[in-house]
Amino acid sequence: MIPIPRKSSPDAQRMIDEHKECIDSMKGVAGNSVLKCATPGDTTTVTGGIHEDFQLNRVLLRMRAQPAKGKLVVVCTKIEKEWRIARLSGIRGVPPEFVTDKVYDNEQDPQHDIFLMRLEEFAETDGFPEHFREGWKRRDDMWTVT
Amino acid sequence: MTWMKITGYADKFSVHPGDTIKFLVNCDGPAEYQAEIVKMIHADTNPRGPGFIEESIKASCDGTYKGMKQEIYSGSYGFVVDKPQFCVESVTLQCWIWPTTPKTHPKYWKHGAQGLVTKWHDGKGYGLFINEDGCVEFRINDQVISTGAPLRDHAWHFVAASFDAKTGEAVLYHEPQIVYALDPEIEPVTKKLATKLAYTPGTPTVIAGYCGALSDAPQAKASMPAGTLIKGHYNGKIDSPRIANRALSRLEIETMKLGAQPGLSERRNSGPTGKLSEAIVASWDFSDGINTLAGKDKGPYLFHATIVNCPTRAMTGYNWEGQVFDWKTAPEQYGAIHFHDDDIDDARWATSFEWTVPKGTSSKFYAAKLTSKDGGEDYIPFWVVPRVGEETAKIAFMVPTISYMAYANEHLANNAGGAELLVYRVPIMQQQNMFLSEHREYGGSIYDTHTDGSGLCLSSRLRPILSIRPKYDHFLAQAPWQYPADLHMIYWLEKKGYEYDIITDEDVTYDGLARLEKYNVIITGSHPEHNSGPQLDALHNYMQRGGRFMYMGADGWYWVHSYHPGYDGLGRGIVTEMRRCESGIRTWRADPGEYYHQGTGELGGMWRFRGRYLHTIAGTGMSSEGFDISTYYSRTPESNDERVAWAFEGITYDEKLGNFGLVGGGAAGTELDIVDTMLGSPPHTLVVATSAGRHTEGYLLVMEDYGFNQQGLDGTQHPRVRSDIAYHETPNGGASFAFSSIAFCGALPWNNGDNNISKLVGNVLNRFMKDAPLPMPSPAAIVHRGRADYDQPMNKARK
Repeated sequence: MIPIPRKSSPDAQRMIDEHKECIDSMKGVAGNSVLKCATPGDTTTVTGGIHEDFQLNRVLLRMRAQPAKGKLVVVCTKIEKEWRIARLSGIRGVPPEFVTDKVYDNEQDPQHDIFLMRLEEFAETDGFPEHFREGWKRRDDMWTVT
Repeated sequence: MTWMKITGYADKFSVHPGDTIKFLVNCDGPAEYQAEIVKMIHADTNPRGPGFIEESIKASCDGTYKGMKQEIYSGSYGFVVDKPQFCVESVTLQCWIWPTTPKTHPKYWKHGAQGLVTKWHDGKGYGLFINEDGCVEFRINDQVISTGAPLRDHAWHFVAASFDAKTGEAVLYHEPQIVYALDPEIEPVTKKLATKLAYTPGTPTVIAGYCGALSDAPQAKASMPAGTLIKGHYNGKIDSPRIANRALSRLEIETMKLGAQPGLSERRNSGPTGKLSEAIVASWDFSDGINTLAGKDKGPYLFHATIVNCPTRAMTGYNWEGQVFDWKTAPEQYGAIHFHDDDIDDARWATSFEWTVPKGTSSKFYAAKLTSKDGGEDYIPFWVVPRVGEETAKIAFMVPTISYMAYANEHLANNAGGAELLVYRVPIMQQQNMFLSEHREYGGSIYDTHTDGSGLCLSSRLRPILSIRPKYDHFLAQAPWQYPADLHMIYWLEKKGYEYDIITDEDVTYDGLARLEKYNVIITGSHPEHNSGPQLDALHNYMQRGGRFMYMGADGWYWVHSYHPGYDGLGRGIVTEMRRCESGIRTWRADPGEYYHQGTGELGGMWRFRGRYLHTIAGTGMSSEGFDISTYYSRTPESNDERVAWAFEGITYDEKLGNFGLVGGGAAGTELDIVDTMLGSPPHTLVVATSAGRHTEGYLLVMEDYGFNQQGLDGTQHPRVRSDIAYHETPNGGASFAFSSIAFCGALPWNNGDNNISKLVGNVLNRFMKDAPLPMPSPAAIVHRGRADYDQPMNKARK
């Protein structure tokens, strides 16, 4: 398996830099991918990111596959003006809760901050198939399904 | 943080000039609110587009209204109003159950005891329950006995209980139908109770819940029966509930499993035996009337239960053998109803105000805009639709209202961890999602699972649908989706000065060809995925007779839908039904034997597997989806064919088509359709532009297009992950243009509508809206064509 590198490692730093470049280049796009727009805000030509950094691609997949409970999401608190980061409860009827006080002025920056938060929060071996946990008999394992 | 103090809905989606539409508003907090009817032009707030545009039309109902809180009492159940025959001294209750959430998390939105068969309120009466610990419980007044044996979820159990008033003896039986090797034996529980059954007047008999409160509050009128608030909603199936007026022996209980059985005596009296005939109070048989809102009582009193909030029927019963799969063939194996604590068929709110649409009102998108001084805001969209025969334009825009209902109040970003894998970024939730995450009573979409995890296959429009809203970006696109995305097209029609009428899916479903035939061209929405059979029939009949069709999106004509006939008395298209069967993109999967609609009895699932290929409607069909970013199209050599070259006047061959837009940043994105003559695209179809080779890894081939899993299915690798813009002629001077991408319309408003996508669409519409049949192509184009030997230019180039 490919571990999730520790945040202080050179691998992590490379991924952080690449991720940030991609996210910054997506500002203005009504959508988002961890890919680099040749012209900022224009998806005509996109390169790098998940298409060229294999480790970043795999690490992002593992982060994205986390089940709903405790998962980080972005919440738009003022249309086209303000966004915040929240965490899902995983319980029907219990709404997400904000986890930081930071208010973003664009919808792309929280994507990068969530990547940084996850690098801190996830164990190096998180998502390894052999580390299935309680619940694996009833599809509640570490790889989520809809 | 408080989200959405004002919410509301209308009693109609489409309203004719001269008719009245009612608005039903919940205003939770503000003492008053302002209402104003507005014409909707553009709903997308993206600063790179024209921005939000609405126009006040000065309607007679505009004004200030007193705010009133209105509540939704969701959760399905059956009830029979208070009747003396239920007020027995001794009693036996029995039924089969298949519970889905016998035990819930303490923070679960409806945590607590669940009622199975009850005539119980506030410590008086009797009832079979599941208690907080997930065990069967029998209540006689305030006395309780329980087995102490937790129910296995998703498994059938037979449960019964009796109380003998003379001896005071109560017996509770819990007999699992599935018994595994290491399961403990569950013995009947017996207890002497020192109590006489007493009843609170007005307490109904309830199946799948119990009488929680009798209330005079104005909001409580929205409950059924009005003023009676049902609590303890049960999640799971119930089959063959019975009530008898004395304590039956275990043998008699076994015999009562047979039900009323009037055929066992030549006198046709109820009861599997003469003695039991005298004891039956009610013996419900849910296999009779599966397509209705009644639970039939086959006992002597005909205490048919009113089924509230549309639980799922046509569900396999405890006795389903796995030999028949259509409930119509063996209804006796489909005697189960699956109740859910979040089912909702009608919010039943009080009317807040109404508007009689003046004759001559233009057929357009409208909304009741509701605002409060403290910043509260909601919009209730509706459409003014001309009566058949009173069409006012050559162009009609067909609003995909069934698809809107399918997506109504969708919860995926909140419920489904997999949402992030799907969209390939962190989902962004909006105020509507935050409100719904807390207010489960507003019900979910057909993309969601119920709160008990089972598939949600029925959706009502008589409730606030917060996903059909302007200024709403959907997590799938991080941009408008469905309703607000369709307004990209409306903005363009307005900007370019076209005269157009509005029609909806429900109008076409009920009116058939008559609804379409006066128009020269029908324009679809960006994502008409969910369709009724009569609607598809009408579209084919229209195109067969020379009608012209512009398919402005993708993933259309995919799922089988039907309107539930049980709601016809309330208006058109109140509840739509869909089952997610063995293939297609499914956020949940129907269980075996549960593929047939409860309303119409037709086989659900994809139209493709009913022999009605998606590609037959407009010429292209769904092949892939991905939601991170969009891309652009290039023209193909076929675009120079004289049959279609007119569409590209003013567009050079090498131009990038749609490398801009308000959905994903390009015209080709989110969900994509392609030409496939083996799946119903006519072999004379011309592919005029394609996005092949430009999609990201986030785009994946649809599962119905491959037989087994393998690598190489994503947008960077698989040739079917692309969008084809395609054209074909239909008989009698008709034609279809398929633009084949959900993101496509998002490119139209770019640069205020001045761009090459706008040019292409304008060229097509100008030709298609003409009165006379389209000119025939040159005789050289009339040739024999096969299906499999159709070869696209790109393939030819590769050879």
